Amino acid sequence: MTGRDGFTQVLRGELTKLVTVRSTVWCVLATIGLTVLLTTLATSVGSTNANEGPRFVDEFHFVHQPLTGDGTVTAHVVSQERSQEWAKAGIMIKAGAANGAPYAAIMVTPDHGVRLQSTFDTDISGNGGTVPRWLRLTRTGASVAGFESTDGNSWRQVGTVNVGALPASAEAGLFVSSPPKIETVKTNGGNETRGSATQGAAVFDNVSGTSLTPGRWTDDTVRPPGGDPLANEGRSAEEAGRFTVVGSGDVAGYGIASWQPPGNDDIVANSLGGVQVGLMAVVALGVLFGTSEFKTGTIRTTFAASPRRTRVLVAKALVLGGSVFLAGLFASVIAFLIGQRNMRRHGYEPPAYPYVSLTDGPALRAIIGSALFLAVLAVFSLGIGTIRRRTVGAIVVVLALVVVPQILAPVMSLNAEVWINRLTPVAGLAIQRTTERFDDAIAPWAGLAVLAAYAAVAFGFALWQLRKRDA
Amino acid sequence: MDATIEVRGLRKTYGSVVAVDELSFTVAPGQVTGFVGPNGAGKSTTMRMVLGLDAPDAGTALVGGRPYRDIPVPLTALGALLDAGAVHPGRRARDHLLWLAHYNGLPARRVDEVLELVGLATVARRRAGGFSLGMRQRLGIAAALLGDPPVLMFDEPVNGLDPEGIVWIRGLLRRLAGEGRAILVSSHLMGELEGTADHLVVIGRGRLIADTTVRELLAAASGDRVVLRTSDRSGAMSVLANAGATVAATDRDRVTVSGLPSEQVVALLTQQGLPFSEVAAHRASLEEAYMELTRDTVEFSGAGQEGER
Repeated sequence: MTGRDGFTQVLRGELTKLVTVRSTVWCVLATIGLTVLLTTLATSVGSTNANEGPRFVDEFHFVHQPLTGDGTVTAHVVSQERSQEWAKAGIMIKAGAANGAPYAAIMVTPDHGVRLQSTFDTDISGNGGTVPRWLRLTRTGASVAGFESTDGNSWRQVGTVNVGALPASAEAGLFVSSPPKIETVKTNGGNETRGSATQGAAVFDNVSGTSLTPGRWTDDTVRPPGGDPLANEGRSAEEAGRFTVVGSGDVAGYGIASWQPPGNDDIVANSLGGVQVGLMAVVALGVLFGTSEFKTGTIRTTFAASPRRTRVLVAKALVLGGSVFLAGLFASVIAFLIGQRNMRRHGYEPPAYPYVSLTDGPALRAIIGSALFLAVLAVFSLGIGTIRRRTVGAIVVVLALVVVPQILAPVMSLNAEVWINRLTPVAGLAIQRTTERFDDAIAPWAGLAVLAAYAAVAFGFALWQLRKRDA
Repeated sequence: MDATIEVRGLRKTYGSVVAVDELSFTVAPGQVTGFVGPNGAGKSTTMRMVLGLDAPDAGTALVGGRPYRDIPVPLTALGALLDAGAVHPGRRARDHLLWLAHYNGLPARRVDEVLELVGLATVARRRAGGFSLGMRQRLGIAAALLGDPPVLMFDEPVNGLDPEGIVWIRGLLRRLAGEGRAILVSSHLMGELEGTADHLVVIGRGRLIADTTVRELLAAASGDRVVLRTSDRSGAMSVLANAGATVAATDRDRVTVSGLPSEQVVALLTQQGLPFSEVAAHRASLEEAYMELTRDTVEFSGAGQEGER
């Protein structure tokens, strides 16, 4: 009789092993079922009122004069204090000094370059540089063009924005803002967010423009009605055409990068939360796929059929990882769709929570990443199962590494929690994150790499041991 | 490729225990070689080393002239039944053979053929967990036959089989040998191999005790003894002893005589007018011959389990 014993044959044999035992098939189904079920339950409760909160913030110090009809304003920003990454210093044309009045502004920021922004919803990036910088706004009817220059001679247009509600007589001048510093600290049983005002300062010179008259400047600190404890009063001083402006707050809204929306839930990660329960079935599957060979003695039959042991274990890992990946991908897609639908019903809607589709980059990364997380975890479990050779012992070891930290972390200090989420296999769950949070421990792919390192070490040791030991 | 197993100077120790010691023998094609020894003698260890499962401390085991690990499609070169219990209880009998077939690229129809061959076709879709030991033995034999190999190795295949199964497996072993295959069958009971084995490899405490044909072993164990039945036991004993024979009373009316051929015993008794009802040349059973051989090497006296590694 002729046969073949290539790697393909071993792969096929291992696949047959996986699908012909009820317990392993059950584990695959349980992975899907638990993931989808837990996501469904978790997203059926909880809601947000983020869309009932304010939709913009309009707080800054404004040094201005009237600008009637079309015209130009130019200024040179000599220096800017690095009070916040999103501190802003530049020139603005605004319908009036009232809170919420339409505007167009061009500004420099310490960390995010030159920006042309308008009406709390439009944000155009210019060059990446900082101060010193020349800035210019040119109004033509409702349209305002923004320019920047490093020397005041050669100008580069950043863009043009349309400010529909700008009256013929508007206010134009210099502005400075600096958003409050928000800190989240852990307290017993939860997080507490604390804010404190910051104060930005910038120096301008060479301020010129159509119909601007020296000495006729008006100072206004723009504030919402009732004020804001997180923004200080601003002020300005002029000396021989050199202006020092001090301001506090931010000018932003949905669509502007510096905007801090009132809700910061990660709706993608939340809809994939079921994975944290589904992973238990994956651990059981991975461990069983390894230990059952030793428990039943079929490992000898296996090695009699393929004495090349490395090939056998690699085939096992590929079949297991591939199957879990497909099951995990299916579960993640279903969980994501159900989760998004449920959360929309509970207030997670635009503009606070824009709709996320399956194919959006971060969502796609989180979904495929969740499937990868489960697949790599399965291989890690297989490795531990092969090393320990006892089902219960191996499951306990893996769950101790994966589940216990998740239970312990929330009751520990923020610092301890960060390190747990960085160094244990749970780090892999970072791949599900699509928003930045104060307690982010590790970047998405780096987190998955931590889990992969665990899997590689366990798998490598299992391989070494399997080759060395008598079967 | 020669259908043989060649074991040369094989040695394996577990800690301070020597399981197999300088063992050499050859399993030739076209015959059934019985591999006999008491529990713990090292039979299973030897078989595992032949399969490359355990690494020997010294020596070599070759199948068809090469180490098992170097054989390209192993199941088509050597079929082995090591442990009938080594089946996942949750897997159907047919599926157990199917993954094994896939491992060596053998066609699925071969799975149905061997199931038919061992008489498990009707239970092919039942889970192995519900199988009796006898059914598992048959499943293990089916697995060994899957690749239609020229060399077969069975470790205690008769264990757990009912009388009908024992008759069946003896017939199967004879038939496989008749097809020119080399067969190695282990047993801790020599009697199980009577009428089946052509050749015997007897080991005790890991060492080779005998490597011989069944015919030679029986002849050696039988010696030239004569069994005599007589109503005058003491008279017969003194007459025969005076004639130079060694005489031993084995029963009330039975005497075993050695040192005199049976014709001379009859002549002496007739001459003295002593009554006798039976004179027969003694023929040892294989079991007796084996007991004789292994008397000094029984590892576990009493009812020992098959606890060898």
